[in-house]
Amino acid sequence: MAAVAPILATQSLTRRFGGLTAVDAVSLEVGRGEIRAIIGPNGAGKTTLVGMICGRHEPSSGRILYDGRDITRLRPWQRLRLGIVYTFQVTSIYRGLTCYENVALPAQRGLMQGFAARFAPGEAKVAERVRAALEAVGLAGFEVQRADELAYGHQRLLEIAMALAAEPRLLILDEPTQGLAEGEIAALCELVRRIARAATVLVIEHNMQVVLELAERVTVMDAGAILAEGTPAEVERHPDVQRAYLGR
Amino acid sequence: MSTSRKVLALHLGVLAALFLLQFVLPAYHHTNAARIMVLAAYAAGYNVLLGYTGLMSLGHAMFFAAGMYGAGLPVYYLGLGAPAAFGIGIAAGTALALVFGLMALRTSGPSFLIVSMMFGQALYLATLYFNDVTLGDQGFIVSDKLAPLALGDAALGFHEPAVKYNLALLLFAASLAATLALRLSAIGRVLVGIRGNEERTRLLGYDSFRYKLGSLAVSGALSAAAGAGYALLFSYVGSTFASILFSIYPLLWALLGGIGTILGPLVGTALMFYLVDTVSGVTSSYLLFVGAALVALILWFPQGILGTLRNRWLPWLP
Amino acid sequence: MSFGPHLFLALLEGTVSAFVLALIALGLSLVFGVMRIVNVAHGEFYMLGAVLAWVCADAVGTPVAGFMIALVAAPLAVGALALAADRWVLRRIDYHPESTIVATIGLLYMIQQAVLMLYGPDARPVTPPVYFVVQFPWFGYSGYKLVVAGVSALLLVATWLLVTRTRLGLYMRAAQQDLEMAQAFGVPARRVYALVFTLGAMLAAAAGVLIVPIEQAHYLMGLDPLLLSFIVVIIGGLGSLRGTLVAAFAVGLSDGIVSVFFSPTLAKIVATLLVAAVLVVRPGGLFGEERA
Repeated sequence: MAAVAPILATQSLTRRFGGLTAVDAVSLEVGRGEIRAIIGPNGAGKTTLVGMICGRHEPSSGRILYDGRDITRLRPWQRLRLGIVYTFQVTSIYRGLTCYENVALPAQRGLMQGFAARFAPGEAKVAERVRAALEAVGLAGFEVQRADELAYGHQRLLEIAMALAAEPRLLILDEPTQGLAEGEIAALCELVRRIARAATVLVIEHNMQVVLELAERVTVMDAGAILAEGTPAEVERHPDVQRAYLGR
Repeated sequence: MSTSRKVLALHLGVLAALFLLQFVLPAYHHTNAARIMVLAAYAAGYNVLLGYTGLMSLGHAMFFAAGMYGAGLPVYYLGLGAPAAFGIGIAAGTALALVFGLMALRTSGPSFLIVSMMFGQALYLATLYFNDVTLGDQGFIVSDKLAPLALGDAALGFHEPAVKYNLALLLFAASLAATLALRLSAIGRVLVGIRGNEERTRLLGYDSFRYKLGSLAVSGALSAAAGAGYALLFSYVGSTFASILFSIYPLLWALLGGIGTILGPLVGTALMFYLVDTVSGVTSSYLLFVGAALVALILWFPQGILGTLRNRWLPWLP
Repeated sequence: MSFGPHLFLALLEGTVSAFVLALIALGLSLVFGVMRIVNVAHGEFYMLGAVLAWVCADAVGTPVAGFMIALVAAPLAVGALALAADRWVLRRIDYHPESTIVATIGLLYMIQQAVLMLYGPDARPVTPPVYFVVQFPWFGYSGYKLVVAGVSALLLVATWLLVTRTRLGLYMRAAQQDLEMAQAFGVPARRVYALVFTLGAMLAAAAGVLIVPIEQAHYLMGLDPLLLSFIVVIIGGLGSLRGTLVAAFAVGLSDGIVSVFFSPTLAKIVATLLVAAVLVVRPGGLFGEERA
């Protein structure tokens, strides 16, 4: 099989806070269109790692390559425009706004090219994108609902709708199933699979069922470093992983 | 009626009502109303920064004063005409806002607040220090130096009540249009996003610094327009308008009317103006009332009048 | 007087102001560090200290006794007021940053105007409790001012010890680091907040008592120290005690020197420009811990 360049590659990415090394020289590669899960115990550095990828944190050293291009110095909003979209571990929707307004903010971004379009990108086009995003996650008809009046599960879906409206090429989901009920989790997995048809997905998860079902490859982290990498089955059998994380 | 039609109808209606009001008001209230409209434009400028971007400043008097002195000084010393002076006033306020923003917006919220207060005070002290030019506390009058406005054949003297009222109304209408347009635009959406959750908004593709700077520039421009308008219409230019108290007033007015609503500033300014007027008739310590009003508002009525209205009954109110 | 001695005089003046400023700014900084709020009424606590000192001195009659009583009574009274404000206002708005600003602005005007109504608009002097002149070769310097510096230094040290050696200080530092974690370990957040707010107010009031024999007690005297304290905490970095102390000396000295050689008004303008310069280079202040 011809070697296709990975969409994302980190090279010895490190992040130190004071005396603590949260992420220790992590080098990983994610292939185009892959669904990659990142698992590991609490404090392993997973959120910090993806935080550096999407631009929330500045690395202490190392590089990030996206589509072959060094994006280490790029600001968060510049990375979004390249297609790197992050959803938060703790739901980060705009509580006082309607679902429509929540999704419209990322949706209008793509339409604001050029000077005039910054002021008036065309509300009809924005509305179209908002509707599409809400429908994709199953929240069609919730447009006028206030975000803080939604049930928790629906709020998580709203967050994903916002991510979709931002036209992701690399979607990073940080513990998307946390706090969801059984049925909601299944629906979410379906949604992620659909999204992965057009985008690469990086998922941080604690729910092993979800990992086994969704992920094509798994990266296991512990104490800031990569412990193991492989298919879900390979990783599950790995002795270090069993010792450190799965508790066997 | 669709939301946007309702919004347009409401705001046009308010302007029409204000226009008609001048024919029924007795003389005392006539000038008051003109004053209120100019000050409401100031409060509207303040609201752009606080209500729609979430940044609290305690130094906005510096922008008002920049506009006031920017318009007043050229008229007083050079006999410049009103339109040019007005333009200079706005330019001065906008420039100040940009310089200030470039320096202060990189700091966190509490620091920004404190820095704004300090700069406001520094400008106030500067108006006192450069006494020979600004005539400091005493201030100066521009009316005798101000040429009437030429409109076609007519010469509109600034001392005429009708001219004062309608120019004030025009200023307020412009500020209303500007803030409403901003609020309903894509940029307005970004500002509201920044207020709600700045980090999230950055991760959704927006350079929040640039938007905050823009918002501060608009806020400064509107405040300066109000200051310039005040100087030209009411003739007096003095240091008091640069003091800290004058930075706190727009906060009070916006809070009472409803922070983050378009018509809130008008409601708050008008109500407070008359409340202070009434209290001043009874005691000279009306500032005690102002202080108590602030505490009471924040404890029991933080949404303000229109904010509460919007929450309970009118969710479409911008 | 030639330049050298003039400079020495300016330095002395500056040092005295620096100590007093450090006391006031420390109160502000502690409150922000632990409670994450800016108390805009802080200068009024200072003013109240001065006014209450005058009231005490007036009531008692003899300078020394009146002053000693004031030094204890005024901070206690102001502390009680601060406690009440915390209980009835700040706690009710849950220490929300913006709301606290508005509330403390309201308190500022209420306190200021109440003093105006009860005490009047005049500036009234208080006799210093001790009067001696330290004779330098070029001029005589007020011994009391040196006493002020000394007592301020003592109070600063006492506060430092409180923060670093006592249990309350431990609670304060824990709450500042991570409130949730601290509460999980049993730190009584509400009580700590109330005590810190009271402590801040008492420090400001003590400074007011100390200063009143030098300056006069006037209902508007709180504004300048408030702004200077703001400058201090911005330059030093909000929340950093060390930064506050260093900056207090830098600002106090420069303010004193510029005031002596030029004018107090110019001194304030210069200080503001200094802040601008610092902020351009270091948005977090010199020692700041910038909280996102």
